[in-house]
Amino acid sequence: MAIINQATKELQVKIVYYGPAMGGKTTNLVQVHDHVQTTAGNKGKLVSLATSSDRTLFFDFLPIEAMTIKGFKTKFQLYTVPGQVIYNTTRQLVLRGVDGIVFVADSQYEKMPENVESFQNLVDNLNTLKLNIAEIPYVLQYNKRDLPNAAPTEYLDYLLNNREVQVPSFPGSAHKCEGVFESLNMITRMLLQKYINQAAPQPA
Amino acid sequence: MPTLPQLIEEDVQRLDGTLREFLAQTDATAALVIDQGGFLIAHAGEDRQFDLTTIGALASGAFMATQTIAGLVNEKNFNSIYQQGEKFSMFVINVDDHCMLVVIFLSKVGVGVVKFYAAMAVKQVARHLAAAKERSPGAGLDLSALNAADPQEYFRKKAA
Repeated sequence: MAIINQATKELQVKIVYYGPAMGGKTTNLVQVHDHVQTTAGNKGKLVSLATSSDRTLFFDFLPIEAMTIKGFKTKFQLYTVPGQVIYNTTRQLVLRGVDGIVFVADSQYEKMPENVESFQNLVDNLNTLKLNIAEIPYVLQYNKRDLPNAAPTEYLDYLLNNREVQVPSFPGSAHKCEGVFESLNMITRMLLQKYINQAAPQPA
Repeated sequence: MPTLPQLIEEDVQRLDGTLREFLAQTDATAALVIDQGGFLIAHAGEDRQFDLTTIGALASGAFMATQTIAGLVNEKNFNSIYQQGEKFSMFVINVDDHCMLVVIFLSKVGVGVVKFYAAMAVKQVARHLAAAKERSPGAGLDLSALNAADPQEYFRKKAA
C-alpha cells in the first residue's frame, strides 16, 4: 500500500518482480540499477540477499526515484521475490504492501508449466494477503526472447494473459536490457493513473 | 483496496515529536517508523551516517521473517527483535498490525533503557498513525501537485 506524505510531498510505491525461478527477475533489477539515468542521489544501492551461487534467498531491493514526475518526490522501491518453489513463505512476506507487479515469465517452451504455476502462486499469495489480482496493476514481461527455444508471445499470452482484462505485455531479453525499461515505465504509468483516478472527486 | 494512508503536516510533526523525545530519553542514535512494506514513514536522529531507506526495507523483512518463525514454534507474544552489535545495536518493535519502530543505538547504551522507553513510544506512534488512518476517507487523496507528464519515460535508459 503506497504511502502518501502530504507534508513532505512524497509518494512511496512498492513494485515487486514476480515469476518462476531463473526467469530473470534479479537481472531486471541489475539492469535498471546499471542503466537508469538519474540525477545525483536518486538511485539507491541494489541490495541482494542471495546465496553464494547468486540465487535470490530473500529478496533483491532497489530504491529509485523517477525523473519526470513533478510535484511529488516519487520514490519507487523495487523488489524481487525468490522464484524457487520452497521459498513461498518468503514470497508472501515480500508481497506485503505491494502496489504493482511485473511478472517476469521465461519464454522457453519447457518453462511453460513453471510460468503457469508461478502465476497461480502469485494469485494465491495475493489472496492470502486479502488482495485480488484484478485490483492490482501488473504487467507481463516475456523474457529470454533471444533464446532459440522461445515460444511465440501469442502462446505466452494464451497461457498467462487470458483473463477478462488483458494487461500490457512486453517481449524482453533482460540481460541485454531489452524490455526492462518498457515494463518498468508501463507499471509506473498504471500505478500513477490508479492514484490519480482515486484522487479525483467521485461523481455524486 | 484499503484507503491509502496520508500523512499531513500535523501527523509528521507529532511523529517527529515522539521520536525526538524518545531519542532524548534513550540516547539512541536514530529512530525510524517503517511499515510492513518496508517504507520509511518517519525518522529522527542520525540520517547521514546510515542508509535509512535500505535499513527500513531490510529491518521490515527481518522482523516479518522472525515473526513468521515465532509463529511456527507457537510463540504467541512475539513483538520485537534485538540485534546486538559491537558498535551499534538495533531494536525493532511492533507498533501495530502495519508498522514497526526501528531503533539504532550505540552498543554501550544498554538495551534495557531502549526497550523500556520504546514500549511507551510505540503507544504514542500507534495513536498518531491511527489518527492519520481514521481521518475522513471522503477527503480523498490530494495529488493535485502530481504532474505525471511524459508518461512513456518515467525512467530513462542511459545512452550507450
